[in-house]
Amino acid sequence: MLSLSIENLVVRVPDLQQPVLVIDRLDVPSGQHLAVTGGSGSGKSTLLNIVSGLERVRQGRVLWNGSDIAPLSESGRDRWRAQNVGLVMQDFHLFAGLTALANVLLPARLAGAADAATVARAQDLLARVGLARPSQRVETMSRGEMQRVAIARALLRQPGVIVADEPTASLDVESGAAVGDLLLEVATETGSTLIVASHDPRLIERLDRRLALAAGRIVTDSAAAEVAA
Amino acid sequence: MISFVLADLRRLWLGAFVLVLLVALATALGVAVTLQERALRLGSARAAERFDLVVGAAGSETQLVLSSVFLQPSPLPLVPGSVLAKLATDPRVAWAAPVGFGDSFMGYPLVGTTTALVKGTTAGFAEGGLFAHEGEAIVGAAVHLPLGAEIKPMHGTAETGGETHTEITYRVVGRVKPTGTPWDRAILVPVQAVWHIHGLGHDHHDEDHDEDHEGHHDEDHHAAEAHGHDHHEDEGASVPAVQQVSDVGAPSDAAPPSAVPADHDHDGEGEHGADDHDEDGHHHGHIDPDAALNEVFTDEAPGLPAILVKPKTIADAYRLRQEYRTAGTLAVFPGEVLTRLYGTLGDAKMVLSAVAAGSQALVAAALLLVSVIHVTQRRRQIGALRAFGAPRLAVFGIVWSELLVLVLMGIALGFGGGYLAARLIGDAFTRQTGVILPVEFAAGDGAMALILLATGMVFAAIPALMAYRQSPAQALRS
Ligand SMILES: Nc1ncnc2c1ncn2[C@@H]1O[C@H](COP(=O)(O)OP(=O)(O)OP(=O)(O)O)[C@@H](O)[C@H]1O
Ligand SMILES: [Mg+2]
Repeated sequence: MLSLSIENLVVRVPDLQQPVLVIDRLDVPSGQHLAVTGGSGSGKSTLLNIVSGLERVRQGRVLWNGSDIAPLSESGRDRWRAQNVGLVMQDFHLFAGLTALANVLLPARLAGAADAATVARAQDLLARVGLARPSQRVETMSRGEMQRVAIARALLRQPGVIVADEPTASLDVESGAAVGDLLLEVATETGSTLIVASHDPRLIERLDRRLALAAGRIVTDSAAAEVAA
Repeated sequence: MISFVLADLRRLWLGAFVLVLLVALATALGVAVTLQERALRLGSARAAERFDLVVGAAGSETQLVLSSVFLQPSPLPLVPGSVLAKLATDPRVAWAAPVGFGDSFMGYPLVGTTTALVKGTTAGFAEGGLFAHEGEAIVGAAVHLPLGAEIKPMHGTAETGGETHTEITYRVVGRVKPTGTPWDRAILVPVQAVWHIHGLGHDHHDEDHDEDHEGHHDEDHHAAEAHGHDHHEDEGASVPAVQQVSDVGAPSDAAPPSAVPADHDHDGEGEHGADDHDEDGHHHGHIDPDAALNEVFTDEAPGLPAILVKPKTIADAYRLRQEYRTAGTLAVFPGEVLTRLYGTLGDAKMVLSAVAAGSQALVAAALLLVSVIHVTQRRRQIGALRAFGAPRLAVFGIVWSELLVLVLMGIALGFGGGYLAARLIGDAFTRQTGVILPVEFAAGDGAMALILLATGMVFAAIPALMAYRQSPAQALRS
């Protein structure tokens, strides 16, 4: 659905002399499943935040299907992300007091984009991720179930790319595996590009391509290794 | 968005509750002060409006009004009976009635007056009718005495150690309709009876006391002659003049303006008490409850603390006031005196308003602090909302409307609570004084609500703006 090209990207943070992320060139074809690995502090989340438009690009270009998101304004990036990116986070970020269904619909509702079709789709998605009770309040759910709600929310607006930052890190092995399976399945079903930052080897090894970061630089890229080999 | 706001408020109900309470209390304080002040002003103005013109002896205008309109006890100097006689026959006067006070029964003030005043200031009778004999009384709407009840007047009040008169027992023959004034708490009896109890209104000529009297009343010789004699001898002589203080029993107290040295009173009474019963005891016990009323007043009428006058026209009222503003007499429009009094009280209101405004400012500051902390604590949640695709404006709207809902509830509750508090205070005041305080909102209060609301909106916008400007990536990292 969406292909990504990064050119001459440098990300700095105020307190650090060294940039936290430097990527001269990275191309991710549409529909690819990419794993971003690396130690803590290596820049995985930074990369994901840049490509999803959460963080402003100050130096370099980040092109999705050929169009640069760097010049977009704050609100412009918000709009673009709402339409194109499905986000899944380690901490779920569900809203207590609301039902599973309401949580799935919340961003769309706040954006004024929740019509009857969207509501129906939300219900289908909850069924798809294996949740039988859309009206259950999220705070009463298990962590594995919560992450399923988060995945359903990420898929609601049919994003061209699913960006998941350590989606299994706060889950036990069993539900982590189930969530990993689910992510791969839905990405395959929808044809979405999938970018997952993870420490979880069982999840990483099942993705098309693995990118290893260290100190903000790409140290290994399985795709490049294959080409070289 | 509404469901999200509500869910959020439900989750944070305790903090929300405290915020609402704070806003409500601050609002209620301001509302109660405003309403109460207005009610007091309106209520006393309404109580005064039945009394067009009050004539008394030279002295304090405020005290004259407080004593006659509001029946508040205070020692008033006496105006000679001849003034009443003159007023009663003045063609510009619809009616003029004496007011004699000083006795009480069960805490209700006894007011000696005439049928003309009752007819002129009340809207008729709820039960029974007017007094027609010396031993009859009518009661105000708020007096808890049935028709036929017996009233044994007490000199002064029970609290001040008054003694009960044994000369007469009044019988309640009528109850007037409510007037919303302190007169609702009064027992009205024929002034003639009051005079008789206190041994006034008879013609005696005890020359020996004239000098004393004139000393105090030098500005009005007629007055001294007209009523001076009885004064000096009788315990009762002072009573019409001195409403409450039972020890002000000496004749000399009645004549001078209200500031009488206390020791003088005591001396006077002690002395007089002895004299009285020896010499003038014959005045007591001579009251015939069935005696017909004589409401034609001559120059021989005893001195009076106040005369209520109903002029025929407004022009007459002004002319009469002018005429009776002499060295010895005082004529006032109660409404005007009250207006002047409010001018003085205005400062007190300003202090109260300042206190209310100060508390509101404090609450606004507390509210701001709390909501800023709140937004800081919710950074992650707010960041997540935006990360998942909620527009910035929606985030702003959520924070803003959440606070606004609380502020609105607080203001609404505050208005209700303030109104209720003002009503309760007003009711207590009415029970105490009989003055009905009309606690009501005016158009200006809407402006006050709007100002509060606007302030709330501006203040709530500050944390909302913080939330709006927050970078979602930063928020999610924290
Ligand atoms: N706003 C910031 N201010 C200071 N340093 C920052 C900021 N954002 C990122 N960093 C630094 O950038 C580096 C990369 O951070 P990032 O969160 O991308 O790492 P990560 O690979 O996701 O680590 P983890 O596996 O622990 O999630 C870290 O050293 C972090 O401290
Ligand atoms: Mg990370």
